[in-house]
Amino acid sequence: MNASTDRGTFRLVARREFVERARDRSFRISTGVTMAFLIGFILLASVTGGTKNYDVGVVGPDAAASVKLAQTAARALGFTITIRPYETAADANAAVRGGVLDAAFANGAIVVKSSGPDQLVAALQVSTQRQEVRKALAAQGLTEQQISDALSRPAPPVRSLEPVEGRQGQAAVVAFVGVLALYGQLFAYGYWVASGVVEEKSSRIIEVLLATIRPSQLLRGKILGIGALGLCQLIGIAITGIAVAVATGVLNFPAGAALAAVYVVIWFLLGFSFYASLFAVAGAVVSRQEDLQATITPLSLVIVASFVVGVQAVANPTSTLASVASMVPFSAPLTMPSRLVLGQASVPEALLSAGLTIAGALALIPVATRAYSRAVLQSGRVKLRDAFRRERVA
Amino acid sequence: MTLELIDVSRRFGDVVALDHVSFSIPEGQMVGFVGPNGAGKTTAMRIVLGVLAADGGSVRWRGARVDGSIRRRFGYIPEERGLYPKMRVLDQLVYLARLHGVPGSDARREAIRTLEFLGVGDRASDRTEALSLGNQQRVQLAAALVHRPEVLVLDEAFSGLDPVGVDVLSGVLRDQAASGVPVVFSSHQLELVERLCESVVLIDRGRIVADGRIADLRGSDPRRLVRVEVAAAGTGWLEALEGVRVVEPLADGGVVELSDGASPDRLLDAARAAGSVRTFAVVQPSLPEIFRRMVASR
Repeated sequence: MNASTDRGTFRLVARREFVERARDRSFRISTGVTMAFLIGFILLASVTGGTKNYDVGVVGPDAAASVKLAQTAARALGFTITIRPYETAADANAAVRGGVLDAAFANGAIVVKSSGPDQLVAALQVSTQRQEVRKALAAQGLTEQQISDALSRPAPPVRSLEPVEGRQGQAAVVAFVGVLALYGQLFAYGYWVASGVVEEKSSRIIEVLLATIRPSQLLRGKILGIGALGLCQLIGIAITGIAVAVATGVLNFPAGAALAAVYVVIWFLLGFSFYASLFAVAGAVVSRQEDLQATITPLSLVIVASFVVGVQAVANPTSTLASVASMVPFSAPLTMPSRLVLGQASVPEALLSAGLTIAGALALIPVATRAYSRAVLQSGRVKLRDAFRRERVA
Repeated sequence: MTLELIDVSRRFGDVVALDHVSFSIPEGQMVGFVGPNGAGKTTAMRIVLGVLAADGGSVRWRGARVDGSIRRRFGYIPEERGLYPKMRVLDQLVYLARLHGVPGSDARREAIRTLEFLGVGDRASDRTEALSLGNQQRVQLAAALVHRPEVLVLDEAFSGLDPVGVDVLSGVLRDQAASGVPVVFSSHQLELVERLCESVVLIDRGRIVADGRIADLRGSDPRRLVRVEVAAAGTGWLEALEGVRVVEPLADGGVVELSDGASPDRLLDAARAAGSVRTFAVVQPSLPEIFRRMVASR
């Protein structure tokens, strides 16, 4: 068989896998459920999180002017103030006591229920002081311009010794979602490879197929087709997730999240190339879907363990466990992306980890292909040891 | 211009499945491949299709050693039939046609043509698993024909077919052979093989024991067989006779083999003595007869 028909055959197999799987109802349902879950998660975050607002009652024009200044200060500190005018101080106080207002400003005093929200009180105090200073300076004969210049001296900048808390928290959430997505994707699509192999065995079409193509072509086409579908689904989910998160204002670093999505996609490809051929062997050694669970269990245990390590790496990306696990081909796809998202892995480390995973896959694929080719035509349960024996195929 | 197996051998562990097997199927001929269970029929067919590798020997088509690209032009129905259950019938055939090297633009047309020819054109957009068993078998046949194969290999393709299905398949195979395609099919239904084929290949325990025209095999059978029936006489009179051996008992007589010295006249005399003779004919051995004798003599 020459090279061009060889490539054509392998593409045909890949296309069939892609199209038939994409048509499958379970694929549509799983995509829908994942999207719904993700959008729900983001919407929930947008409702519970978001910017804090305080309602402040004001009595009289002086109070209103002070609180107006406080509004500007509040915006810089990351919260908002809504001004509610009241006729009398008594009315405003009653509203504070009743919980309608967070604070009231009347007769030059800030009224809170017990010990008011610190940042609100601070903003009101500073603004009122400024207002007083402004009045005093005006009384000294300074012009409006001079007063503004005097008061708008730049505040000393803040230099963080460690990353800003809020942003780091978001990065951790993004990393966690990434690990979760990778785990789900590797497991689901690996399982599809295995069950696809069993389908061909149990329906016995395998013999019709092997009369026209080699087992290795069938295996490569299947892995490529299913992997491509997993990739498309992952990209679709990532784009939807980031778009919804940005639209609802949950995410304030879309560029970082997009980069995280790129890491996840790359590591899905690496992880899938590593695991898919093993899933194919797990499928090839059985003849019925019911028996698949038993041969898949060792693989799922490895993936679940890697997932646990991956979650641990989100919480503690600099730990020895995370560093080691991100270099081992089994667990690297579930550990390295979160270290990268959290900014705890260097480019050379990432490249080394990717290289080791690729090397692992390259070492594994020929062995797994041989085992697959040996087992796929045999009926009944094939012993793994027999499948991996180094001997002529078929 | 034939499909040839030359000196093909294959072992499974200690079991010798094929022992230097050689035979050939000329173009335009339909050949029955017969033998007891476990004789090596399926192994030989799988080796022709490349599903199994041979330990030794070669398979040739039109003089060239068969490789992947030649094999893609073969059509095959394996003993364990199989199709993708969830795939739509037409999609499945288009896919298989393309695997067999039919270009994309033609594959769909050929698939529709084949399905319509086999009377399942109206099921093209159904999932395969939704079809009745009989229609699934037609789709299986369509899968072997969709790429207009140069060679047809069918392993027990007749088993499980109803009489209509047998007629459809027989007709298709005859047409294929008439158009120049060498057709080889294995079967346990020897009467069917006798009816359909001019030639047979007989295999037993991994070795070819007979290969050639059925008529020649009959002619080479040295036995003299007589079919004799006497009205309401039973078989007791026949068993008492010397010089004859009952090969196939019938209700009122049987097919008997005459031993070397025995004369047909004496058999006829004995029959007349037993009653009114209904049948008395020198017969040629049937394929099952030849088959039994050859297998038993080994």
